[in-house]
Amino acid sequence: MDKLANRLREDADKIEVSVSEELDHRIAASLQGVTQEGVAGKPRERSRPSGFWWASSLTGIAAAAAVIVIINLQQAEEPPQATPTDVVAVVPVIDWQAETAALTGPLQQELENLQADIRKAEEKVKKDIGL
Amino acid sequence: MRTETQLVEAAQAGSTEAFADLVRSYRDRLLRFLLTRCATYADAEDALQDTLINAYRYINSYDARWRFSTWLYRIAINNAAKIRSPDVMELGELRDEESDPLLQCISDSDTENLWLSARRILNDDVFAAMWLRYAEDMSVNDISRALDRSASWTKVNLLRGRRALDAGMNGGRNESEAYG
Repeated sequence: MDKLANRLREDADKIEVSVSEELDHRIAASLQGVTQEGVAGKPRERSRPSGFWWASSLTGIAAAAAVIVIINLQQAEEPPQATPTDVVAVVPVIDWQAETAALTGPLQQELENLQADIRKAEEKVKKDIGL
Repeated sequence: MRTETQLVEAAQAGSTEAFADLVRSYRDRLLRFLLTRCATYADAEDALQDTLINAYRYINSYDARWRFSTWLYRIAINNAAKIRSPDVMELGELRDEESDPLLQCISDSDTENLWLSARRILNDDVFAAMWLRYAEDMSVNDISRALDRSASWTKVNLLRGRRALDAGMNGGRNESEAYG
């Protein structure tokens, strides 16, 4: 320990102080009336009953199980059978040939007209050149 | 003879006798420390009484990772600050020598007690750090906890305090300069 530290320690020891009997009694009397804050070993007051968490967990599990059972029961019931439908009767039968004819008829007519015009034009040309 | 840990546990269970045993060895030292921080002897005694009452009241908040003395000194520092009258805020201020409680308790000596010089030169916290280090032999960590300061603050200010006192001892420094 260095010189300064030694001197500080020695000088602190020169400060002679002791607690008087009167102060000692005063402190002892004061301590008797003091209530400790947050006494050790005393369980903290709970905001809920001790079995609350168990009870709530079991209730939750029971509710979940009930929901699962209900869903399964509903799935087990036979779904109502759909009435067989005569598709042929419902869906109109399309006369594809007739429809094709209806769709291509005008074009066919046009083609025939054009061919007729070509033939007339050929005959006229032959007549003109004297064949 | 019960250990300090056993006494703490008994006091936490509500035994005032165990608490009295626990603090018996600290009372005189605490009073001596409080004399350096209070304006009058009566204030220091009141501060000691409040310290011990608060320590007992809140002993269940005591963290066993700390030394018990460190926790006790922290309470003492807080109580001294509450009791100190507003017109004697700085320890460095000159007081009436007859009423100075520290001066009254210092035995006669050829040289001035270095703690009187320290009280004039240093500010409150640096003085407390120096006292806890050199009078109470506390570690830097314990001083930091007692003063609620960082370890680096404590190291730096212990060094500053030492330099200031060294200079004061050697007469090469203006003693009215406050450090910290």
